[in-house]
Amino acid sequence: MLDVLAALADIFSSPTMYGSAVRLGGFLAFAALGELVAEKAGTINISVEGSLLAGAFGGAVAYHLAGSTWVGLAVGAATGVLIALIQANMSHRLTADQFVVGLTANVLILGLAGYLDAIIDPIAKRASVIEIPLLSDIPLFGPALFGQTWPTYLLYPLFPITWWLLYRTRWGLEVRSVGENPQASDVSGIDVNKRRRQAVCYGGVLAGLGGAFLVLGQVGSFDTGAVGGRGFIAIAAVYFGGWTLRGTLLGALLFGLADAFRLAVPVLGYQLNAQLLAALPYVLTIAVMYFITKPFRQPAALAHPFIRGLR
Amino acid sequence: MTKRFGKVVACDEVDFTLRRGEIHGVLGENGAGKSTLMRVIFGLTLPDKGVMKLDGRSVRTLDPLEAGRRGIGMVHQHYSLVDNLTVWENAALGEQGRIDPAATKQRIREISEKYGLEVDPDAWVRDLPAGIRQRVEIIKCLRREPRIIILDEPTSVLTPAESEQLFDVLAEGVKSEQWAVALVSHKLDEILRAADRITVMRHGRVVERYLTVQADAPSLARAMVGRPVALRAVTAGLDAAASGAPVGKAAPTGSGEDEGAGFERAPPVLRIEGAAVKAGDGSVLLDGLSLEVRAGEIVGMVGVEGNGQTPLADVMSSMLELDEGRVEVAGRAVTTGAAGAMARAGAAVIPADRHRSGCVLGLTVAENLMLSLLDRMHNRGLLRRDAIRRNALDLVEEYGILTPGPDTPLGNLSGGNQQRVVLARALSADPKVMVAHQPTRGLDVGAIEYVGDRLRRAADDGLGVLLISSDLGEIFALADRIAVIYQGRIVGGMPRSELDMERLGLLMGGAGAAEEAA
Amino acid sequence: MIPGAPPAPGGSAGGWRGRGETALLYLLSIGVTLLISGGLVTITGNSWTQVMGALLNGAFLAPGRWGNTLVIAAPMLLVALGMVIGVKSGIFNIGQEGQLLMGAMAMAYVGTKLAGPGPLLLVGGLILGTLTGGLFAALAAVMRFRRGVPEVISTLLLVFIAFQINGFAITTDWFLRDLDPNRPSRAVTSAQLPAEAHLPVVTLFGNEFHIGLIFALAAAAAVAFLLTRTSTGFKLRLLGSSPNVAQNVGVAVARWGSAALFASGALAGFAGAVMLAGGASSSRLTSGFASNFGWQGLLVALLAQSRPLMCIPMAIVFAGLRTGSGFLAATGVDRKIVDVIQALLVLALLIPPAVQFIRDRRKAAAVAATGAPAEQGAG
Repeated sequence: MLDVLAALADIFSSPTMYGSAVRLGGFLAFAALGELVAEKAGTINISVEGSLLAGAFGGAVAYHLAGSTWVGLAVGAATGVLIALIQANMSHRLTADQFVVGLTANVLILGLAGYLDAIIDPIAKRASVIEIPLLSDIPLFGPALFGQTWPTYLLYPLFPITWWLLYRTRWGLEVRSVGENPQASDVSGIDVNKRRRQAVCYGGVLAGLGGAFLVLGQVGSFDTGAVGGRGFIAIAAVYFGGWTLRGTLLGALLFGLADAFRLAVPVLGYQLNAQLLAALPYVLTIAVMYFITKPFRQPAALAHPFIRGLR
Repeated sequence: MTKRFGKVVACDEVDFTLRRGEIHGVLGENGAGKSTLMRVIFGLTLPDKGVMKLDGRSVRTLDPLEAGRRGIGMVHQHYSLVDNLTVWENAALGEQGRIDPAATKQRIREISEKYGLEVDPDAWVRDLPAGIRQRVEIIKCLRREPRIIILDEPTSVLTPAESEQLFDVLAEGVKSEQWAVALVSHKLDEILRAADRITVMRHGRVVERYLTVQADAPSLARAMVGRPVALRAVTAGLDAAASGAPVGKAAPTGSGEDEGAGFERAPPVLRIEGAAVKAGDGSVLLDGLSLEVRAGEIVGMVGVEGNGQTPLADVMSSMLELDEGRVEVAGRAVTTGAAGAMARAGAAVIPADRHRSGCVLGLTVAENLMLSLLDRMHNRGLLRRDAIRRNALDLVEEYGILTPGPDTPLGNLSGGNQQRVVLARALSADPKVMVAHQPTRGLDVGAIEYVGDRLRRAADDGLGVLLISSDLGEIFALADRIAVIYQGRIVGGMPRSELDMERLGLLMGGAGAAEEAA
Repeated sequence: MIPGAPPAPGGSAGGWRGRGETALLYLLSIGVTLLISGGLVTITGNSWTQVMGALLNGAFLAPGRWGNTLVIAAPMLLVALGMVIGVKSGIFNIGQEGQLLMGAMAMAYVGTKLAGPGPLLLVGGLILGTLTGGLFAALAAVMRFRRGVPEVISTLLLVFIAFQINGFAITTDWFLRDLDPNRPSRAVTSAQLPAEAHLPVVTLFGNEFHIGLIFALAAAAAVAFLLTRTSTGFKLRLLGSSPNVAQNVGVAVARWGSAALFASGALAGFAGAVMLAGGASSSRLTSGFASNFGWQGLLVALLAQSRPLMCIPMAIVFAGLRTGSGFLAATGVDRKIVDVIQALLVLALLIPPAVQFIRDRRKAAAVAATGAPAEQGAG
């Protein structure tokens, strides 16, 4: 028992663990931030998984062709939006079921990326680490937060930007309004399904960026299994956060930490079954959703399609 | 203006003129086309034919935003406020350009002060009672300084006193700022009370135009329905109470607390004691509600909407579990929240929102009609298709349901016929007690009369009926006894024979809490 | 709260014109799918006609191939039927990939770790596999009905947990790992299911398929019968159409919803057991054993618009694409193109019913406008 505690203390005091927690959590945070906006407008966007993968593949290919991380990130964001556009138009223009669309979009991009990957076989590279002076000297958390590859830093301004968009702009007000009460929004003169499409697309941009970050800021190569259900964990992070920005961030970090723990255990020389460790983030996510989700906090019209004249 | 929905003509060459400095009442029963007319003016519906002229210039409002820019504002009957936003955020919805919280709040305060519509701009709308919400609606409309104001059935969620206040605000605005107000209603008395001119619509056409000073209730009612009708079916509120045309059997005299002539000897078929329940977010839905309904009596429950009527109906539908208190149906305690327990014990419910819990649009008419008889409609798990069909044909005939056939999806029927299906299914299981929540909302006069008569007949046969309605006219016409609900509790009541409008109004407004304590 | 596939349109599309339009829409959708996938193949420098030919040959025409296709179709059909039961009951279980794996794992355990006569092992394994798949799905039911966690997300997350459980099982000595030093491959797998515990094989016109296919066809008929003719099926459909009314008339939402989730997971679990006993990946549990059967079964149900009997031809089409993809190597096209075609097909075929739904909705709104303006919104 004491051994276990000592081992845990060792793992949790290791700076590498927090470094990878920020990397893995950051990846989730990109997706979760976008998912939060989509859900605020009333869509449980399970195609966030597909957007992540599309962003990762698009980013890798663009880097392969252009040799620039910037281009890779931009193209990643753009490919992420492509998936979001399918989701948005199918479910909020044609009123097809959002889960059916999301699921199918995920299968589509999985096949497409696999097919094209075999042909193009993009070579990617990890972006360089930039240590921010002073801030990165803070013990334990300093290097974790401020000693990362530079695409990581794109994430930080996204929080205030997303917050500002949601809570300080008319667009954000309307997004929140259509997720809570589409009928009222409609009679107030808001194009409900347009706002929903836009919110899904915002989610697509961020998830695409997250995918490109995974390849170019974290792993350094592309693999079709790279995302492996982490998009769904990002959705869980939004639930964990009770549909607040702060909570969502916390959720992403928590799940990132679990992922980092999984990686840190063998690195630090401890023996634990690899499969059980790999299952840990998912088990934790499920446990957290079971114990912490407060369904009554969710946007009232979450997952309800809006058709004018139909309550 | 003409508007068709498919083959149905909602508005047929309607002419409508609204002048500055007047309140123009638009009267008609549900489905007469008055809402469609207003939606066209406000840009929520595009007309098929016709022109709209604003200050002599031809215009077309394509959406509510544009209507707002042209100075047209609308106060909606339902659905226009978002619960999880604050008052000022709601007021800012549907405008364009940057939002400025401070200026918006300041503007709300100004309007509040000017018209005596007190409200806190930072309050969450979800925390506000119905009357205050209506204020927010009005402020949201006035904030854009409209010259033309459309009010669609504005009083359905207000107490009589709040309605009076609303009409005062309107009269003030018309006088001092030359507003042009269109007041849409199916309630005769409030149109007579508030409007300067009256347009009566029926079946999508304008049938009569009056100056209010020349109009009287019976002629308006005739114009509205197209034939002479008992006033009780169309009127509501105070006038109906005054004329008080009794229906069914003679009003039982002295069925109140003291004498025990009427229903006092009949056994109670529904007894609710101290029912209390909270919502998931902690808000109180029912707060120690106690109530008794005896066999053969109709108890009318009045109260402003949102004071616990829906939770009560949900409890009686087994959809909501009580935190405290007990429910007895026909003398036996019933577990609340257990699927089907209420129905098995003999409680039937006609819910206010039939699409939410009354009927199933995706199933056929026959399937809907067997819902309450599920146990009798199968043979060792196999559906008895003949029995289901026979049951459907019988009920379709008995209740006069207009349907192409029993296998038609319910969604293809009109609202009135859907409601007949709900009624038929509720009564088909021979219930002991029936909770009828707004059973006639959204129906035309024929259907309203039908539902009322049917309930009365069922009560005469020994059914206990709890009639929950915001339509006082309906309550006065049907109920033997009146109970007032306020904030999840019964705060008082009176037999219909001892009706005291003033006290009733006070009770509905919350003055009964003290009385109850006494 | 979770709507299923687009609700069945109210009436027929209204006369020949409407029906003709709908048919045209379907044709157009399929056309667009073929166009996009064809374009994809052409852009990557290959011949679309060759690909089509290879797919057809591989799926049906070459000797012995349609038997293979039917073998593949059986588990897909089973998974799809589970999905149908879920959707009809308002439950959106999309974790079949994991439930199927759990079922296969149970079959492997019974078949390789327990002693007994082969047929007994087979039957026992099929039953235990069914139960395991169902119970694994029931975890999502507990989360949904006790804590309000949407099953869409929980079932998805459970897929990844199932992958890891499977990985754990085949790498752990006391569990399912094959400890035989003479095993043919160096990959970590479970031991092979004994031949006596395999499903009996039927040979027809030179094509071989195991009786799992018969189970699946029987299941399709049974599900169709259940949903239309029995009171249980009616209760499930009622639950799917209106949970409130269901609760009111005595169909407990939590109990029946859990039952539907269990049934839908059980069918996936059964599918997994059938796959293993039917010789999939040489009757050994491998790390990639599920190999998208769960996802594809799901798509089959979506394509069939949740009609049980329609699932049969759709499963055969999807299985055909899958077996056909085995012949693609000769054309130089990666077999993953088939995944793309499948997903595109589902997406494209979502469009016609959606268009029809909107049209029916307009009609219904018009009817409602006469009787009950409350349904118009602000009426």
